[in-house]
Amino acid sequence: MDPMEVFKIEVTGDEEFGTKKYRELIMDILQDLGLIRSIGRLYVYIDIKKPVFAVYGLLRTGIPPLRVGDVGDVLKSESGYQIKVNDEEHMADLLKVLWTNYGRERVEQPSRDVLIIASDNSPAQLVVADLEAEFRQDLTDALIRIAPEGFRNRRNEMTKDSFFFIAAEESLSEELISNIRENIRRMENA
Amino acid sequence: MLEPVMFTGGVYKHDLVIELVEDLGGYVLQKNVSQSEIILLLLVPSEDMPALQALIKELRGELVRAPLAGTEVAVVTPTLAIHHLPHTACDIAEYLRRNGAKSNMIGLARGVGREIAQINEYEAALINEHDAAVFIFGNFAECIRKKESLYRNISVPVVVTGGPEIPKSDLPYAFEYVPSVGRIAHRARKATEIGTLDMTIEAVGRALDRTRADISKDPLTTSPPRVMDAVREQVPEVEYSYSPLPIALNLSGVRVKLPYEGYKDAVKAVRFDEGVTLGEIATVKPSRMKDYILVRILPASETGFVF
Repeated sequence: MDPMEVFKIEVTGDEEFGTKKYRELIMDILQDLGLIRSIGRLYVYIDIKKPVFAVYGLLRTGIPPLRVGDVGDVLKSESGYQIKVNDEEHMADLLKVLWTNYGRERVEQPSRDVLIIASDNSPAQLVVADLEAEFRQDLTDALIRIAPEGFRNRRNEMTKDSFFFIAAEESLSEELISNIRENIRRMENA
Repeated sequence: MLEPVMFTGGVYKHDLVIELVEDLGGYVLQKNVSQSEIILLLLVPSEDMPALQALIKELRGELVRAPLAGTEVAVVTPTLAIHHLPHTACDIAEYLRRNGAKSNMIGLARGVGREIAQINEYEAALINEHDAAVFIFGNFAECIRKKESLYRNISVPVVVTGGPEIPKSDLPYAFEYVPSVGRIAHRARKATEIGTLDMTIEAVGRALDRTRADISKDPLTTSPPRVMDAVREQVPEVEYSYSPLPIALNLSGVRVKLPYEGYKDAVKAVRFDEGVTLGEIATVKPSRMKDYILVRILPASETGFVF
């Protein structure tokens, strides 16, 4: 079963096998990069005769930015605040944020997962990483990987809740793009 | 007749195997040591096989037939980018290796796309130095048909792999077409996927058999393993080459992995017991692969004798 609500793929011409395989391929790559849960609907349109490859997707609602309180427990202590880090994946980002906000001399790391801050301001609400921006980067990477390799002329439009990616061998004309938009709209309404 | 086999076993006492093969008049084509394991590719006279089998049983080793031993096969992908590698290309190359062939991966510089795909003269010449080539294409029949231009000028038999079923008549320049491979984003692990790898190997086997049949119509003056043995003996520097396989065997000659300018004369001067030198019975020319030496043994029709 597809983890997405809608996953439609359309290939022009007699390419049943290619359609089936591209479906598997897209799932494999999205799964590899851990993106599959963030995509709600996906429409893929491939015209082999032109040739052009296009993907339109709707994203699931935005991911909130990661704050200090999300990666560790923030405790008030005598000299300031102590952070017990639970998620080490963002350790480098966390340190960078604390250094810019409090200055290096006020941030101490007595052991691998403990940070002590000499300040009265709680760090809990500071933003460690913008996961949405990371997600967008990963998504662009995935789309480039999915598109057939020779398709070097690309256009990628990303909004807060959707993305439209198009790749072709020849240069992208306005006419071609509007044609593809129409085809994807038709798939959406079908 | 010499039978190609692969020995897998412990390093301990493996020299007994090498000694026996040499005593029987066979050849050691390749020796691969990984920690305490060893893999030997051997050519053994078929009538003496029981003697070798008895020894290997005693050493608790394993002996399997390696039908592609002594050949070099090119695995060609449109580029070396993530779209084509590693899954399909590496699986096929690894399978060729397990069957005894020496596989080389070649990524074309501009093989991508449908309209824009192209191959240049250097790439074609490099592929032609092999005994057979496997071209790995994608999932769309239209593109596979269109990309025929990539292998139209290749003179060695070309096995084409791709996703969909395409009748062979649509691809007149391919030796054979193997479907159900295509572009895959995971390693081959299902039984059906392993089955298609086997089919690819069988197709390559048939392609090599055709080349062998062509050669047998006008046999080579001497056999490539014999040239390999003589070069190894008389040009000892080859043992210091950093390549894992300092002398690579082809069906029609060998590739000696030493700089051409420095060693071409030494290779030409290699003398056989019959009194002729290698320069007299073979053409020695620069290989397209790095600056190696390519030796192509002349057929009997040109030299007038066979030994």
